[in-house]
Amino acid sequence: MTLNHGSFAHTDEHCIEMKKCLVIICFIIGIAIPAFGEPAKRIVSLAPNITEILYALNVEDRIVGVTNFCDFPEAAKTKPRIGGMSNPSLEAVLSLKPDLVMVTTDGNARQFEERLRSLKMKTYVFRARHIADFPSELRSMGSLLGVSKKAEILARELETALAKRKSELSREQSMIQKKILFVIWPDPLIVAGSNTVINDAITMLGYENSAHRATSAYPKYSLEAVLQEPPDMIVIGKGHPDMKKLSEGILQRLSFVPAAKNGAVCYVSDNLYRLGPRVINGIEELEACFK
Amino acid sequence: MFQIKILFLIFFSIAAFLCALFFGPKIILPWTLGDIEKEILLSIRLPRVIVAFLMGTALGVSGAVLQGILRNPLADPYVLGISSGASLVAALGILGGVTFLGNSTIPVLAFLGAMMSGGLVGMMGMRKGGLWPERLLLAGVGLSFLFSALLMLLLSISNDEGLRRALLWIFGDLSMSDWDRIPYGLIFILSGLALAMSRAKALNVLILGDELAHSLGFSPKRERLLLFISVGLMTAAAVSLGGMIGFIGLLMPHIMRFFFGADSRLLIPASALGGGSLLCIADLLSRSVLLPQEIPAGVVTAIIGAPYFLYVLRRKDVLSM
Repeated sequence: MTLNHGSFAHTDEHCIEMKKCLVIICFIIGIAIPAFGEPAKRIVSLAPNITEILYALNVEDRIVGVTNFCDFPEAAKTKPRIGGMSNPSLEAVLSLKPDLVMVTTDGNARQFEERLRSLKMKTYVFRARHIADFPSELRSMGSLLGVSKKAEILARELETALAKRKSELSREQSMIQKKILFVIWPDPLIVAGSNTVINDAITMLGYENSAHRATSAYPKYSLEAVLQEPPDMIVIGKGHPDMKKLSEGILQRLSFVPAAKNGAVCYVSDNLYRLGPRVINGIEELEACFK
Repeated sequence: MFQIKILFLIFFSIAAFLCALFFGPKIILPWTLGDIEKEILLSIRLPRVIVAFLMGTALGVSGAVLQGILRNPLADPYVLGISSGASLVAALGILGGVTFLGNSTIPVLAFLGAMMSGGLVGMMGMRKGGLWPERLLLAGVGLSFLFSALLMLLLSISNDEGLRRALLWIFGDLSMSDWDRIPYGLIFILSGLALAMSRAKALNVLILGDELAHSLGFSPKRERLLLFISVGLMTAAAVSLGGMIGFIGLLMPHIMRFFFGADSRLLIPASALGGGSLLCIADLLSRSVLLPQEIPAGVVTAIIGAPYFLYVLRRKDVLSM
């Protein structure tokens, strides 16, 4: 009995201590949460697609720096520049006094991100490379920036668009797969290979990327390969204001390919070049090519 | 013995040319031609193989001549700043929106740039009415650095992705070789080759030194200028045909010296054939091994050429000219 009592007393003491601890922990968290949890107010974006996403999330007023390549939307061009994607200026980034630097694994150097962290800078690494991974990446960006709702809307929009294509695809499965060659640059011929957002969009629409066997993302492509496995459609992306004129030569050289001969050539924008909010428009554009 | 070696080289060149033409991503035999095969053979491969042979020839001969007139075994056609001048002018043209010649705009601009920088180097290497080997070499290196730096500056301040892509070919690209560029290339390269061949005897003498050349009845100033012009013509044409392809200009003359000796009358045609065949084979590999991707031909020339050169180097003192 005494033993029991003793143990009770001990438990009571324990409880009080626990409560104290809890109070202290809560207190610490109470102070710490606003400091940690407050969304970043001064963001530097080190990639054009991140800049586009930030604009789509309506947090553009928090962007204090972008790369030289951040040209969309138009307003992004007025933000302070910090250099290229592969060679941003560390000094320029630091002098903007950001509280968050957003980098991507697709184009930024890992060492740069490590350098930033060693300087006690908070970073966010954008890891998605494919359309399928994009919605979840959007959500985590949204929650980090305190705009979960807007991010959720964008992510849902994207998922609905993807699901719609998927269901349409399963209905038309009997259809023969048409081949698309997506030209990035006509001379020398550079096309979109398999590890690209463009390839995702093409396969999502139920077509086949002519260059899916190429190992690098944007390979210099063999003309002979185009002739031997002629695509049903040649899509030419925008890399220059006048792609029509630039592409005359390559289309003439490929005049033996039915697509080039019959004018199954489609000029599209650069919507699919970046994993950003414009991929939906890019998918629609690609879809329209076959209508 | 020489006749056998020469016959062998001619036979080897023809074989290389034919291999490059009929082999490739897909082996095409002339007696089983379908429509697609015919199209591939005639409008893609044949112009490409001809351009490769022409370029290799131009580079091989330019290297042999240049090493002679500069009296320097390390001279290579690109040391004169010709290629960096070509790429700089091409880049300026693209940025300025020059498209007056359609698809041939860039090659024509590159040719103009190459000739211009060749002329500049010549002017700077000129002193007391003659070209001085050391001055020529240093002027070339200096201008080459300046032009490359300006090109880098242009590329880093311009955000035009198109410009980078449009300049890709300067680092060696034969994939877009087309019939319409061949006549010009042929004219410039053949006239350069003819000029070099006609002055081959003078080149032999120049290597021995200016005083000796003078006493043997040659005017070193005049001969060096003529030979320099022939190098300029050939290198400029080669750059505008397919950009810069390394190794051949520098090392093919040394390999040929090992087989045929240092007599320029033999060395020039041998370097022509050797350079042409090596580039044909290199280009064949560059478009076949990683199908459907292409790898730069310059990479292949160095990978197959350099080990062979090092092997030759161990066996004989090839650097003696």
